[in-house]
Amino acid sequence: MPKLTLNGVSKAYGATLALRRGDLEIAAGEVHVLMGSNGSGKSTLCKIIAGSVRPDGGEILIDGRSVTISGPQSAREQGIGIFYQELSLAANRSVEENICLAMLPVKAAFFVDRPALKARAARYIELFAGVSGDGFAAETLVGNLRADQRQLVEIMKALASEAPILIFDEPTSALDRAQVDRFFDILRGLKRDGRGIIFISHRMDEITAIGDRVTIIRDGETIQTLNLSETDPAAVIRLMVGGAGDMPASQSSAPAVASFSAGAAMTVDRLSGAGFRNVSFEVAKGEILGLGGLHGQGQSAVLRAIFGAGSVTSGEIRIGSDRFDAKSPRDAIRHGCAYVSGDRGRDGVIAGRPIIENVTPIHYLRDRLMIARPSGLKAKAMPALEAMHTKFASLMHPINSLSGGNQQKVIIARWLIDRPDVLLLDDPTKGIDLSAKADLFALIRQLAADGLGILLYSSEDAELLGNANRILVFNGGSVTRELTGEDRTRYNLYQAAYEAA
Amino acid sequence: MNAVLSFLKRPLVIALLLIAALLYLGESLSPGFASADQVLRLLIVASLLGIVAAGQNVIILGGREGIDLSVGGVVSLSAIIAGNVMNGADGGILPAILACLAAGAFFGLLNGLGVTLLRIPPLVMTLGMLGVLQGLLVVIRNGIPSGRAAPGLSAFVTQPLVFGIPGIIWLWIAIGLFMAFMLNRTVFGHRIYAIGSNEHAAYMAGVPVRRMRIGLFMISGMFAAIAGLCLLGYSGSSFANVGEQYMLSSIIAVVFGGTSLAGGKGGYTGTMAGALLLVILQGILTTVNIDESGRQMVFGATLLLLMLFYGRGKAMRA
Repeated sequence: MPKLTLNGVSKAYGATLALRRGDLEIAAGEVHVLMGSNGSGKSTLCKIIAGSVRPDGGEILIDGRSVTISGPQSAREQGIGIFYQELSLAANRSVEENICLAMLPVKAAFFVDRPALKARAARYIELFAGVSGDGFAAETLVGNLRADQRQLVEIMKALASEAPILIFDEPTSALDRAQVDRFFDILRGLKRDGRGIIFISHRMDEITAIGDRVTIIRDGETIQTLNLSETDPAAVIRLMVGGAGDMPASQSSAPAVASFSAGAAMTVDRLSGAGFRNVSFEVAKGEILGLGGLHGQGQSAVLRAIFGAGSVTSGEIRIGSDRFDAKSPRDAIRHGCAYVSGDRGRDGVIAGRPIIENVTPIHYLRDRLMIARPSGLKAKAMPALEAMHTKFASLMHPINSLSGGNQQKVIIARWLIDRPDVLLLDDPTKGIDLSAKADLFALIRQLAADGLGILLYSSEDAELLGNANRILVFNGGSVTRELTGEDRTRYNLYQAAYEAA
Repeated sequence: MNAVLSFLKRPLVIALLLIAALLYLGESLSPGFASADQVLRLLIVASLLGIVAAGQNVIILGGREGIDLSVGGVVSLSAIIAGNVMNGADGGILPAILACLAAGAFFGLLNGLGVTLLRIPPLVMTLGMLGVLQGLLVVIRNGIPSGRAAPGLSAFVTQPLVFGIPGIIWLWIAIGLFMAFMLNRTVFGHRIYAIGSNEHAAYMAGVPVRRMRIGLFMISGMFAAIAGLCLLGYSGSSFANVGEQYMLSSIIAVVFGGTSLAGGKGGYTGTMAGALLLVILQGILTTVNIDESGRQMVFGATLLLLMLFYGRGKAMRA
């Protein structure tokens, strides 16, 4: 009898179906891998099992009994433990307290039983003895630990729940080789105890090393469950991609090779910093260079670092033939660099202020203006807004009165009054509607045709495949693959993204 | 009907209606309260407050919980510096102005550096600065009043200059025009709103956020210094903690005028109305024989009441 069964579980957020149909069966004593691209629905599935999201339909069975998981507390009572990708530790408490946080041992019904707490925490700390690194001790405050050590504490905390069913959502992202090996040994021990383990990772080598079976999720649906011993990584990726994944990118969209005769717009040479290392590339004038790969593999970090808003520890950047080290966005803008973030609420929109003031800040800086004359500014702002097909009633209306897509158009328009040489696009279409996206990419290609060098990171692979002349695939902070011409296929993009870093 | 209602709900309109109502109330409590002479006197007192509130206004507009609690200390210090520099002689007015502005800019600079480089919250930084200034005042004066206003300065503040209106009121009007121009028609003004509304987005758009913030604290220091100078002209000689009352009342005037304590929203015109309103309220409280401590209580309660009305739009610590 399977430890955990999900039958036709579904979840919708408003009109968006996050999970169309989830079918899953976890046997006792297996490590069951979930695979799917960003937004395919695997984290929704995990949240339903862990009780933090209530499903709209379907059935959950534990040990053959139908159950209702009403919340995280109820999940714990039903024997489900979870490792959260976003660590859920208390920074100002010690390692041992964090491990036992969910179930503090008490005595006299009120006081924390310190010796019991220490003894219990020590069991789990002992599991990682020798690989947990310098400065790792039961009494250390979690806030003083390195990222990998904090991840170990989170793992220990999940293990301490002693739950028969354990979910690990990307538990190894910060760990080194020895720590991963030790963790996998522990997982094998848990398998022998007959626990059921759900494991999510994007590293193909880890999946084949520890997994018994794999279930593939695509577009909110569990597609298929395979025995990992009877399949190979290529077949798994093909299932994730779906049909037509081997087709090269549609050639009507972007030429396979941009002409390099115009020269380089920007050269990045062995650049390293927080979140990326040893990144080198060249963007030609008139080229759209795509940055691909899974979320958070260093794409945004590189773009922000180039723009002077992130850290650079070594390497160099050149615009044309001039050395370019922006100490701040202000510096970068002065040197002809532009940056559009997908997180417009944080990085772009000056909320509550008129549209015109949201279009003009770059113009102020690049033209060293002191006085803001409305008629002069209007003449500058209108063509830029029209180039983006922005819909608005008056320049004096607050930007908040516009839809998300139109807000993003205003943010992009601010870079069009004084043209930059290099445009950095950091997932620019996040959360905007389809017609705004179409307008946006039409403009981006026009800008490239005008001779700008464009760097485009997108979390939607179709946008990269449809617009980029070349695609650099990021994995673990480095560029692991470059896709050009006929190689720009969805399959190749996935394969490079899921390779071991 | 809706248009009328939304017009009536604008903070500036509310403030103007309240001003009229309070003047009427004052007149009925004590005939002569709203006479031309008295209104002019109220305007002079409001000018002093309004000038301090101009600095407070730009700091609050700049956001990140911006506030300047040290303005009262700067006002007092400036009055003492001015009194000692001019010491009753008209020839000393210009040096006194320069000395006061320098002192105001200096303490504003310290506030600004503390807030930006040391990342001390403005509330704590300027409160600490207020303590420093109060200590400094005791040291300088050693308990003995010193320095007198020059006759020219006293005349500027208290005697009619043009159209029967004293110079300080003209100065206040000029500052009002200057503030409106700066906030609406200059790049600097637009950047104040930008950092107040979304500091990070402003930074990403090339706004020199730190320099701006330091500049705002210096502006606030200089406005407080000007007010201190004029206050000396008003009272003739400086006495201990003459500027103390301006800390709370300048903040109330700004909030009264519809500027959001969360930053990025508001302007100076409303603040001017707010200053006038507060001064009239103060006059009424004096008329009905409520002493200083009672007035402070009423002012504090007024601020809290205002927060209840205006402050609900956006959480302060978002």
